[in-house]
Amino acid sequence: MDKSGQSRGSPKEGAVRTRTLSLAASFIAVSCIAHAQSATPGGMPPPPGMNLAESAAMRFPQPVRVGDLLHRTVLQPVESQNVLGTVREVVRTGSGTIEIVIDFGGFLGFGTRPIAVPVDAMVLLGQDMEVVAFTPQQLRKFPTFSPTGTTPVPNDTIIKVGLAKPSH
Amino acid sequence: MRSPFRPDDVPDPAILDNHRPLIKSFERRGLIRRGLSLGALVMLTGCDVKRPEAVESALLAISRFNDEVQALLFDPNKLAPTYPASMILKPPKFNAYYDVMDVKPVNGATWRLELSGLIADRRPWTIQDLQALPQRTIVIKHICVEGWSYIGGWTGVPLRTFLQHVGADLRAKYVAFKTADDYPSSIDMASALHPQTLLATEYAGETLADPFGYPMRLRTAVKLGYKNPKWVTAIEVTNKYPGGYWESRGFSWFAGL
Repeated sequence: MDKSGQSRGSPKEGAVRTRTLSLAASFIAVSCIAHAQSATPGGMPPPPGMNLAESAAMRFPQPVRVGDLLHRTVLQPVESQNVLGTVREVVRTGSGTIEIVIDFGGFLGFGTRPIAVPVDAMVLLGQDMEVVAFTPQQLRKFPTFSPTGTTPVPNDTIIKVGLAKPSH
Repeated sequence: MRSPFRPDDVPDPAILDNHRPLIKSFERRGLIRRGLSLGALVMLTGCDVKRPEAVESALLAISRFNDEVQALLFDPNKLAPTYPASMILKPPKFNAYYDVMDVKPVNGATWRLELSGLIADRRPWTIQDLQALPQRTIVIKHICVEGWSYIGGWTGVPLRTFLQHVGADLRAKYVAFKTADDYPSSIDMASALHPQTLLATEYAGETLADPFGYPMRLRTAVKLGYKNPKWVTAIEVTNKYPGGYWESRGFSWFAGL
């Protein structure tokens, strides 16, 4: 308070005020410019006509330990990064594809149900994951996961998952 | 009632008398109005806010001033926090100014690190040459200006060791980098010589993967994430301000942590 109050003070006091204002103004500058990084949002959906495996291959799949994926937050790849759920387990289907079982939706733990999303529809985003190939509306129509016909993938297994840049 | 927070040693009340006219001039609402506004900016610089470029140059002048203050405050001997290897995020978080699908991998076999500027021995370097120098591993936090962070483990030759080895002028102001993804960057010499600034070639004990800057990237614990160029192809030691990709778009240049 008293720094700004020196608006009619001596030149030296003016310099103190100038510095206070300059710090404040630079915060404005940084917060405006940070939006520049959203020019190309990450987590883009697969290009039209491309299947999940092909689009996942373009996202530089990286080795990751299955145990390190458990309990990760799953986000929607939009600027607000809406939380879709958390990773419950990783399973292999009868046809050999790997699926991530997500505790999906609900509110404060109520109404949450497990759904299985192909790993090629998902990406790693640092400590989190994102579903890039399906919208939340599509995920809501996914059947509730049933373990019948699938086998859990052990924690020490290394699988490959694609990447995305942050969406914000 | 006497405040329980009143310090034992109170300031000399004569200070108030000395500044009586100033205290009289306090206008609370005026302070709020002027505190953080474009109006304050006009008073500060005398510029015309109707001209956006004038506002921009005023803000950039402020940013440069902040850079200078940060450089003055920088302690070249103070180490950033480090973490146990068990906390390393594997794989690291990807980020760039473009999406991951647009990453153009670099061929490590034909890759050369070009040197220029105030360096005695400017012969280009191969990845094997770099790895023959003494290596250092650091587990540090990557902190992005956007607000996120993660803990990563990086191995490579300390930039200080490299600059000494090639006979760089360590009194020069800047170390500038060029990269394969056209992301120029530069740091001050004090930060370049900091013990936690590496030319990293490995992550978590493995060769750096393509999306994270293979074959070599800068990794420094004393700067924000955007000061860590990936896929580095050239290093220049210079006294002429080199700028950088985000810096030319208004981000602060020093960006210290």
